[in-house]
Amino acid sequence: MYAQQQYQPPMMSSADSDAYTGKSAETRHLKPGELSTGTTIMAVQFDKGVVLAADSRVSTGAYVANRASDKIAQLHDHIWCCRSGSAADTQALTDYVRHFLAQLAVETGRLPEVKVAAHLMRKLCYENKDNLMAGVIIGGWDPVSGGSVFNIPLGGACIPMPFALGGSGSTFIYGLVDSDFKENMTKDEALALCAKAVSHAMARDGSSGGVIRTCVATAEGNEREMIPGNKLPYGPAGW
Amino acid sequence: MASSGSGYDLSSSTFSPDGRIFQVEYAHKAVENAGTALGLRCSDGVVLAVEKPLITKMLVKETTGRRVHTVDEYAGVAITGFVSDGRQIVNRAREEASNYDETYGTKIPPRTLANRLSAYVHYFTLHGALRPFGCSTLIAAYDPATKHHSLHMVEPSGVTYEYYGAAAGRGRQPARTEMEKLAINPKQVAASGDGEGTLITCAEAVKQLAKIIYSLHDEAKDKPFELEMSWLCEGSGWKHVGVPKKVIKEATVWAKKEIEEAEGEESEEEDDEMEE
Amino acid sequence: MSEFTNPDIGLDSTTPTGGFNFENVHRNSLIESQLQKATSKNNITPLATKTGTTIVGLVYKNGIVLGADTRSTNDTTVADKNCEKIHYIAPNIYCCGAGTAADTEKTTELISSQMELLRMNTGDGQSRVVTACTMLKRMLFRYQGYVSAALVLGGCDVNGPHLYQIYPHGSTGKLPFTTMGSGSLAAMAVFEEGFKDDLEEEEAVELVKRAILAGIFNDLGSGSNCDTTVIRLDGTVVHGRNCIMPNEVKPLRDSVKRSDVLNMRKGTTAVLKSTFKPRKSGFGVTLADVTVTPMET
Repeated sequence: MYAQQQYQPPMMSSADSDAYTGKSAETRHLKPGELSTGTTIMAVQFDKGVVLAADSRVSTGAYVANRASDKIAQLHDHIWCCRSGSAADTQALTDYVRHFLAQLAVETGRLPEVKVAAHLMRKLCYENKDNLMAGVIIGGWDPVSGGSVFNIPLGGACIPMPFALGGSGSTFIYGLVDSDFKENMTKDEALALCAKAVSHAMARDGSSGGVIRTCVATAEGNEREMIPGNKLPYGPAGW
Repeated sequence: MASSGSGYDLSSSTFSPDGRIFQVEYAHKAVENAGTALGLRCSDGVVLAVEKPLITKMLVKETTGRRVHTVDEYAGVAITGFVSDGRQIVNRAREEASNYDETYGTKIPPRTLANRLSAYVHYFTLHGALRPFGCSTLIAAYDPATKHHSLHMVEPSGVTYEYYGAAAGRGRQPARTEMEKLAINPKQVAASGDGEGTLITCAEAVKQLAKIIYSLHDEAKDKPFELEMSWLCEGSGWKHVGVPKKVIKEATVWAKKEIEEAEGEESEEEDDEMEE
Repeated sequence: MSEFTNPDIGLDSTTPTGGFNFENVHRNSLIESQLQKATSKNNITPLATKTGTTIVGLVYKNGIVLGADTRSTNDTTVADKNCEKIHYIAPNIYCCGAGTAADTEKTTELISSQMELLRMNTGDGQSRVVTACTMLKRMLFRYQGYVSAALVLGGCDVNGPHLYQIYPHGSTGKLPFTTMGSGSLAAMAVFEEGFKDDLEEEEAVELVKRAILAGIFNDLGSGSNCDTTVIRLDGTVVHGRNCIMPNEVKPLRDSVKRSDVLNMRKGTTAVLKSTFKPRKSGFGVTLADVTVTPMET
């Protein structure tokens, strides 16, 4: 009898016992069995553009459903998006925004602005807030404003920021990033900050982990990179 | 008219055997006889000017039956032809501008606004149950994203082009000839060795447009009119606003004087000829 | 004349129009919660047959290997001991399904049909795996997780081998190896230990079989036999239906020597009395019983 109470099938996480299922404030409203990118994501402006970074863990309750996922999605040539919350919802949202931006680019014959991407995402998030569980960060480069970052948290606000943090792991690194962030960093400084911050979050947050994926968006184009789990700037001893 | 009675001019959904759509051509005719509307792209902005015929002296002429309308913060249109048809286009332009802003969070690019309006106007030339617009539309707009200002014209057929100078309505041909003489095409100005700096300014354009409209007006034959002018320039913070009354008045005085002087010269010449 | 123009074969309003019906979802959840409040033990609401399942897929040197067990369950009862969980999508694409059996079957069937129509419309001989993945995720997202289908989609097209995992809520992931269903943990343990890039076909199939067997033996929801499907880059497909049958009972039964006392011969039970009663006419109608009239021509 005791053993039966202890056992919980991995796909059927009970909504009541947050402690057991490893749910964070952000993932508390997931339906049973729904995938969540219980996550650490961030984006940082630097002198020539934006660096986006994310961990790679996707979880169902306490099970890691995908340990090498890519939470940084491309919305347009120079515009990217970090996803957190329900994987299904954020994937559907990015698909829509990608579609609208492609249409807009064809109609106007020019590169869309990052703020347009953020506006579209905000509109979808706000108007469907009752049915969505999505916190996203949009970052990228455009010819009008250069590099810019927008944070779109749960309720569907849209806030331009010099840097933005998101996901369950972000709470552990706000102080770190507040103290280390500088305006007009170089690309390498911004990348180093992202790697340091995300690896610290991954070390403390159970729902974040795996590898760090990064994306640098500038006028010249995009650079995607990956830092393997055993090459992180900070992590458990022995790695 | 060659087409009347042939039956090919009854609907805009019917082509004539030689490939024309008479209903659309008639719509153009409706514009040809209406007040002159002019637009000029200058170095520092765009100016619109329309001749508004006054049907009676009892009109509250400054505010009624306006031909120049603000569509959005940075966009305005001038209409001529059937004014009521034009109002539909103005409404549509406002809708397009506000929808775009609502959807994308940025101002509609001028070319996109022109294309969307032209698609709207063109739609009315496709269906048998619809009548084409008897109205031409000049669009002056500024794009805060690219910091460019531009002038477009949409005609009753639905075609649209971007212009340095555009004219519609009665006397548009001589008006174009006059506008061509102004320094409005940067390439031509550059070729003549004067450089970009000598492109006409909005302040100068207001005077020149007033002069063109007054010189095309025959006081004996044509109805009295009100000169409506608007601009969108550095000086107005790129907002589309009416040209201040005082400025219009000064331009009018200057224009009338210029015309009188020119006529004087002409009559002198004529006198010389008479003497011969 | 088609079914749309011929009034005689027009659809009447009672003909089901296909698709899924969710009329009773809210009613059922209400009944369920009330029942659970009243008596925590007696839950009388009918349960859907679920494929408490182990399904896996991996990318190898020359294509894709998919694998599945063959048990389908209804609560704790095994509803089918040898069902098929590797579904056809297109000649070059197959899809393993876990979740509610009816949902996985109908979903894959529907997408398979849409893929065939798309091939006809585009005149392209080959379906793309991404297309199938996108169509599946769109549909599952639209139904907000109420279509309970967790899928492993694999196939080869002009862009190479592709393997996707698709969750019931409509999220997807593209991976070199993946497992799903209640036995996914057992199977994943095998994959994490044995997977390498560019495996040979034989090694790959072996690894897939080991992963499925891990599910069959260690997960209560999975069992019976092992199915595999190999989709090669050249488009050829090899099915390994029941390629391992570790739970055959016949040899086991045959191997058991039963005492003669248990094997009753014919005639063991004595016949005490027998009677014969011919059946009355009425059911057995003969020509004599009816009037025959010639047919009007």
